[in-house]
Amino acid sequence: MKLPKTMNAPPKWPFRLLKLFCRKEYHLDIEGDLLELYERRVQRLGPKKAKQKLWKDVIFLFRPSMIRSILPDLNTSPMLKHHLQMAFRHISRDKTSFLINLIGLSVGLTAVLLILLWVQDEWQYDKFHTKDDRLYSVYQNYDRPTGAHTTVRTPTPLATALAEELPEVEQAVAVNDFFQWRNSLGLLSKDGESVEAKALMASHDFFEVFSFDVLTGNSAMTMQRKDLIAISDQLAKKLFGSTEEALGKSLEWDHSGFKGLFQVSAIFSAPPQSSSLQFDVLFSIEHLLDNDRWAGNWTNNYVRTYFVLSPDTDIESFNPKIDQLLSSKEEKYRSSLVFAEPFSDQYLYGRFENGKVAGGRIAYVRLFLLLAAMILIIACINFMNLSTAKASIKMKEIGVKKTLGASRSSLATQFLTESILMAFMGITLALQLAYLLLPFFNRIADKDISIPINPSFFTGTIVLGLATGLIAGSYPALYLSGFRPITILRGKLPSLFGELWIRKGLVIFQFSLSLLLVTALLVVNDQIQFIKEKQLGYDRDNVISFQFKGEVYDNWSGLQDGKSNETFYRFMEQLRKTPGIQTASTISFGNLLDKIAGQSGVSWKGQTEEEKGISFKSPVVGYDFIETMGIQLKEGRTFSPEFKDHYHRIMLNESAVELIGLDDPVGKTLRMNGGDCEIIGVVENFQHGSLYDMIEPFIFRFDINGGNVLAKIQSGTLAETLPRLEELHEEFLPGRAFEYTFLDEDYLALYKSESQVAILSRYFAGLAIIVSCLGLFGLAVFTAERRRKEISVRKVLGASIYSIMHLLSFSFTKVVLGAVLIATPLAYWVSSNWLNNFSEGISLSPYYLLVPSVSVLLLSWLTVSYQTYRAAKVNPSRALQEQ
Amino acid sequence: MLLIPFRMPQTKLGLDFILKNPLHLQYYKIVFMKKGSKLGEFEEIVILTVGILGDNAYGVTIKDEIEDRVRREVSVGALQTTLRRLEKKGFLSAKQGDGSASRGGRPKLYFSITPYGKKAIQESRDVRNSLWDALPPGLLNEIA
Repeated sequence: MKLPKTMNAPPKWPFRLLKLFCRKEYHLDIEGDLLELYERRVQRLGPKKAKQKLWKDVIFLFRPSMIRSILPDLNTSPMLKHHLQMAFRHISRDKTSFLINLIGLSVGLTAVLLILLWVQDEWQYDKFHTKDDRLYSVYQNYDRPTGAHTTVRTPTPLATALAEELPEVEQAVAVNDFFQWRNSLGLLSKDGESVEAKALMASHDFFEVFSFDVLTGNSAMTMQRKDLIAISDQLAKKLFGSTEEALGKSLEWDHSGFKGLFQVSAIFSAPPQSSSLQFDVLFSIEHLLDNDRWAGNWTNNYVRTYFVLSPDTDIESFNPKIDQLLSSKEEKYRSSLVFAEPFSDQYLYGRFENGKVAGGRIAYVRLFLLLAAMILIIACINFMNLSTAKASIKMKEIGVKKTLGASRSSLATQFLTESILMAFMGITLALQLAYLLLPFFNRIADKDISIPINPSFFTGTIVLGLATGLIAGSYPALYLSGFRPITILRGKLPSLFGELWIRKGLVIFQFSLSLLLVTALLVVNDQIQFIKEKQLGYDRDNVISFQFKGEVYDNWSGLQDGKSNETFYRFMEQLRKTPGIQTASTISFGNLLDKIAGQSGVSWKGQTEEEKGISFKSPVVGYDFIETMGIQLKEGRTFSPEFKDHYHRIMLNESAVELIGLDDPVGKTLRMNGGDCEIIGVVENFQHGSLYDMIEPFIFRFDINGGNVLAKIQSGTLAETLPRLEELHEEFLPGRAFEYTFLDEDYLALYKSESQVAILSRYFAGLAIIVSCLGLFGLAVFTAERRRKEISVRKVLGASIYSIMHLLSFSFTKVVLGAVLIATPLAYWVSSNWLNNFSEGISLSPYYLLVPSVSVLLLSWLTVSYQTYRAAKVNPSRALQEQ
Repeated sequence: MLLIPFRMPQTKLGLDFILKNPLHLQYYKIVFMKKGSKLGEFEEIVILTVGILGDNAYGVTIKDEIEDRVRREVSVGALQTTLRRLEKKGFLSAKQGDGSASRGGRPKLYFSITPYGKKAIQESRDVRNSLWDALPPGLLNEIA
């Protein structure tokens, strides 16, 4: 009610304050009393004093008994029923709006759900161990001129030393993953039946430190005795049919590192997918010490060390003690620093830079959480947009209710109820959608996530739904309940100042985002295509690579002790003779992609001081390597049996020649590894690794005893040649699975994250576009409502339907163009930045910027066309009548 | 012990309460209320003033009357609080009346004493009087 504006109109503010805190039941009468007093005082004491006294009165009315309760006046049960009734009636009156709103919300919520599930899965990797909060992993730093290098490998005796000499350590365990023997897969057989198993060697406290469920048997005893092993239940079932049968039985173990007969004395449940330690069988660490004479030294790093700290020990103050311990055992050849980090941190924070933890997968987790938040916000904004756009429908209802005395809060509650209802429906739908999409999602994300059926998950979803409903519904509730009956009954639509611009701004934001994503999609996809087709200077088609799973000894692992590689040489001979195989070769370890051996300490005539520290890429290869890989020879010759090549013959690439500054390289020598090596040939430069790598100087060393085999298959003969290889493999290595990969696939695997980004961006771009179109749709509805009178007048004055449609569409086109203007430079900047990471790539032609813009423009026209058509068709007399 | 069918504020009929509550609860409530029926000085003044004003006892008039007779300033807050409290305790009853222009149309809340309230002030007076009567006769003459 408005107070009469007279000379001594009472001051507003004291009354506003009163209204704010005073209990509703008393408020009006007290206000009346205060007014009466004020009027009287004005006459007796003058307005100024009257005002002072008024303020005093109001302030002193601020007493506990006078203050209203904080909660909104819900007047629960009966009102709730009414609210729900109204909600359902609103829905059935305008089904299309409701559906559009619901779809928008559900789609957004589905994306959020999937992302949250993924994040949760990533988060609990390795956290299932009961001692997780006290479980640590030991790392070592080696200081190098290029920065500190961090490794997880430690000396074998460290674990025992930690447990025995430092009282804060409860248990410690040393774990070896067979890295020195190239792979940890061995053959476990029983009566001729064999199964491949992944093995680890560990010291006796393994099961005390980690929480791998021991199902039957005695784990402590198993780890202490060399002749006993522990196997997983999966393995037990494969070999014996059940875990009960497996206990106590003997198995043959066959691996290049060691062999023997062992007894199964413990069975554990196979490590879950969320464990970074994956293994089928456990051996005692003694086998490592027996079979590798350097394994027990303090100077070599053969194992990973994990330990459990006693409770209440501070890791920060404990770390130096580990360092001191190491110094006391080995001062000269030790690492620069040894320290421990929590074990479960390793998965998400596994990247080290210059000796310190520097993130890792956590960056992706954070990115995705941010994405989820953004999607939720956008979905809520859209909801707000759409809810308030069609205000005219609600107008009459609100006007009547308010006139009849409904409080603002009860109206707000009405709308909040509607939005919370919608949110719950949305999240139910989202759950279904997420369930359906999960298989696809799992394939892309390379995971095995499933919807958890536990109370905390459902509580979480309910909370999410509630929060969404509250957030998304808050603005419409406040906005719609704030309508003034007078304005409504006059037929005018209330508008916030600048409201149109806020809405337009939102639509621009959404479209900019979509444009960015579509551009990113195009760029990434094309770049990946380029990468797939790019010639690297070697031929990766039809080349397979595999590991020879039998024994291959080299100068460090036994050749000197009288062992021989006869089997292996015969295998290679047969391989080369197999029809369909063009050439075959070996490499000692790694490949040309991501694990390339290095060589430093090379010196030559005329070398400068700085050049002494240069590190060359230096794979150790066998005969026919250059031919098998299809690298082009430039000068001289390649390694071949006629010349009886040996360790002191090397090949260089062009880059190396240039670096060293040799005019006529063939025949010259370099000094490395304590001897002189003769250069027998030079090859042309090629791109190793991925296009992220620069071309580097290569020194190819020679050793016929390499365990990784490469074979080039005649093109077109794959179907016949591969089975022949299988047979050959079976002949030499019976029972071992012939596992090989194609070089071109391996190469593509280097770009795994880019491929994932490409696939994901496809979906997210689609999502963003849907959401933006929804936003635009809301804007269209809103505009159509607001401009009804204008349109009617135009029609009366003779405008045709099409001209009106043009008029309306034009305003939307401006909006989308605005988005284009903002997004295009941004997209350009981001894309060129990313592309710069590659040594070569596609060029950013205008195509990448035009296509998204044009298609988005067309799409937006489509979206608004229906609305503009409807708006243009409105009978002008109706709109003008509502005065 | 007086079995008073006292009135819960906001219920129209005390009968309601009696019918709903068994006798022992009435008793408990009465005892409880009996404790609360100790009137404070200001409370007593307010009730008496309401009685004096009769039909015309609302916020402003009550305040004026008290300030007139007792010659001390009464804050709106203190008065309102007391009035509400007395109403809750059952000593006063409230009824809304019409508004007037000088109040911007806002209604007035008229108060009147309930039978329970009458009993309460009567008791208070009886107690006071008995104390006065028990004073030694000569004492009062010395007080100038």
